[in-house]
Amino acid sequence: MDFEPKILGIACNWCTYTGADLAGTTRLKYPQNLRVIRVMCTSRINPSFIIRAFQLGADGVLIGGCHPGDCHYNTGNLYARRRLAVTKKILNFAGLEAKRLRVEWISASEGNKFAEVVREFTAQIRNLGPQTKFKISP
Amino acid sequence: MIEERLVLKKTAIEKINELAAALMEMGTLIAPVQEAVGANFKTIENPQEVSLDFYNTVLSPKFVFFPQTENFLSYQIAKPFTNAEPVELAITPVFLFGVRPCDTRSFAILDRHFEASSIVDPYWRKRRENATIFGYAFALDTPPDNADFYSMLGIHAADTEGSDIFMVRNDGELLLKSITSKGEQLLSELTLLQETSSDDENYYTEYLARGREYKTRTLCLEQETAAGKFEEIFYNNDFWGKTASACLSCGICTFVCPTCYCFDICDETMFKKGTRRRVWDSCMFTDFTLEASGHNPRTNVFQRLRQKVCHKYSYSPRKYDVISCVGCGRCVRSCPVNIDIYSIVSSALKI
Amino acid sequence: MNGKSCCGDIETAGDKMTGFHEIEERLKSEAFRLLQAGEVSVVLAYGKGTDERHPVPFAALTTADVENIVFNEHCTHNMARYLLRYPSGTKIAVALKGVDSRAVVVLIQEGKINRDNLVILGIPTNSMRNQQNGQIIDARTTCGIANPVLFDILLGEEVHEATVASPYDVLAPYEAMDEDARWNFWKTELDRCIRCYACRKACPMCYCDPCFIDVTKPRWANKSPQLAGNLMYHLTRFQHLAGRCVDCGECSRVCPVAIPLYLFHKKVAKDCEEMFQQTAGMRIEDKPVIVDFRVEDSDKILE
Repeated sequence: MDFEPKILGIACNWCTYTGADLAGTTRLKYPQNLRVIRVMCTSRINPSFIIRAFQLGADGVLIGGCHPGDCHYNTGNLYARRRLAVTKKILNFAGLEAKRLRVEWISASEGNKFAEVVREFTAQIRNLGPQTKFKISP
Repeated sequence: MIEERLVLKKTAIEKINELAAALMEMGTLIAPVQEAVGANFKTIENPQEVSLDFYNTVLSPKFVFFPQTENFLSYQIAKPFTNAEPVELAITPVFLFGVRPCDTRSFAILDRHFEASSIVDPYWRKRRENATIFGYAFALDTPPDNADFYSMLGIHAADTEGSDIFMVRNDGELLLKSITSKGEQLLSELTLLQETSSDDENYYTEYLARGREYKTRTLCLEQETAAGKFEEIFYNNDFWGKTASACLSCGICTFVCPTCYCFDICDETMFKKGTRRRVWDSCMFTDFTLEASGHNPRTNVFQRLRQKVCHKYSYSPRKYDVISCVGCGRCVRSCPVNIDIYSIVSSALKI
Repeated sequence: MNGKSCCGDIETAGDKMTGFHEIEERLKSEAFRLLQAGEVSVVLAYGKGTDERHPVPFAALTTADVENIVFNEHCTHNMARYLLRYPSGTKIAVALKGVDSRAVVVLIQEGKINRDNLVILGIPTNSMRNQQNGQIIDARTTCGIANPVLFDILLGEEVHEATVASPYDVLAPYEAMDEDARWNFWKTELDRCIRCYACRKACPMCYCDPCFIDVTKPRWANKSPQLAGNLMYHLTRFQHLAGRCVDCGECSRVCPVAIPLYLFHKKVAKDCEEMFQQTAGMRIEDKPVIVDFRVEDSDKILE
């Protein structure tokens, strides 16, 4: 059976989630492997969510937020940028393929970009194969 | 007092690995191996790893009978009822090899806790019945470790209590004496062991006698006196405050201790399947006494340390007629801030 | 001072430092003076243990207690972790070595203690020895700085070394490994964890009440020491300490199963320094990097 990646998407309400919505209303095609969770801001994201996601079987995690400077709450994504950068370094040093976590800034009007990023990321994860290191077998 | 049988065998120390291999044929062998941090008991996969060149292990052998994680039930969450099935404890005979006298004594102490009154812990009981214990006398030609104080608890360096077979070293040879009928049976099955002479018999008997004279740091401790004294000074915050001032409340002491047995029961679920497990807990953890209401009677470090010491030297004598400590010294050696329970007891008795 | 070291290790060729005996004398005299004058209510230092190799952290409350104070190469404990045990406002004198002082700087940065309530007795030394194995403690397992970065009274001459080793040199072989090799390494190490939480208790920066791992809603990890839970605990802890860990190495020294946690903490510290151009615990005016940001932070850090 061909491997279908399971990708968790975490999107901020004001920018990326709206951008994803735009991609939908403009009928842009992108792979269905993405399961999206909406948060109000990327700074809500606890790095432990990402570890948890990998433990529960996610093959990739895609985080989308407002462009730095455009955060609905002014500074949220600026903190998130630092925090998630550290998370990436930690996962990398632990030996998890760093490419499995991706952080993108996608605004509400960038429906195209959203679709493009999802297409690209899904292909990348498909290439990397199933994530087995962190995954807990039930 | 178990009647001493007359079966005494021996083997060369360098042939330990052959003995190990023979035991592995008959069941599961758990013996000391050298690790980065020191010696530790491990289930042996390669007979070459067994080593009797150690003083004592870092972690105690209690995990053999009381594993850190014990599965009780496996369950599947479903409607209308969740299915739960008990986990069958299927184990092969276990040979626990190289256990020092303080640790063999600890099993008897834990027996009282796990088999109190009429309620017997079936997991504990089954594991105990399935194991044959090879006790191992301390060396008498070198001084004891500074941390040890088993003499205070009435344990000898060559104490056979709690062993099925007792081992004593004679230079390059290892003497093995049967103590129980289980031990006698096993010794007769281990045909690779050599017969012994009357010289060996005399050496063994003398060794045990010398073992009685060999002392660690010690003081005269009456169980009743200790229990009473700790009751008396319970509210002496000055004493307990000072005693606990360095304590980190990390819990290492309870993890390495052969007589600590506190546990938690947890349902560990993932998606719809899960297991109910018993896992080691520690009275030194801050949330050990955290109640559902949010109240915690032991928020201070000194309260928890006081509880730990009193449990061993006061509550246990009152309830189970035994001091729950064997003076093995592990907590003293492992404590990151060098807290010494012997000093605590000694100071308390002077108040 | 006995210059023994085991395993043929090369001794740190540092500059001559003030002898331990002299430091001990000065420490005791300062402690006495401060307690007698009532300038502080407690002096956090080291006291006699069962033997010379095993001193204990010690809180002197009266001038009579000062007699018990010692200082030698085995006084490795980081006294910063006891500061938060005292009610806010308590005047405390505390003996701090180089890296210990950095921990106090972080606590001040985070508003957990007030600089005005502390009298810091700084101890410059590069000759501390591990209590378990007697080996010199240097930049391979800690941050390696000899002189306190914050102090009121210095109890010895500052140590100036000809060459200062980087605390990140020891990471090279691990950074060079490929991902799978690194995963195998950490998987093996973290599998041994027995979840005794000594690492957390030894760390001056782990003061959260409750700690995330103790919370039941949400339950981040099961209580039993299995790899998945151990990973969640340790990796999250590395994240929580990013930009706050000062590389004192206590977590690794207290671990009963000898997991080299300091390696991971060093890696995170190195990455934070590279990404955010700031070192943890150096100046009290700084903000820890994770509770701070620059608009001009580069997106490259997310690659």
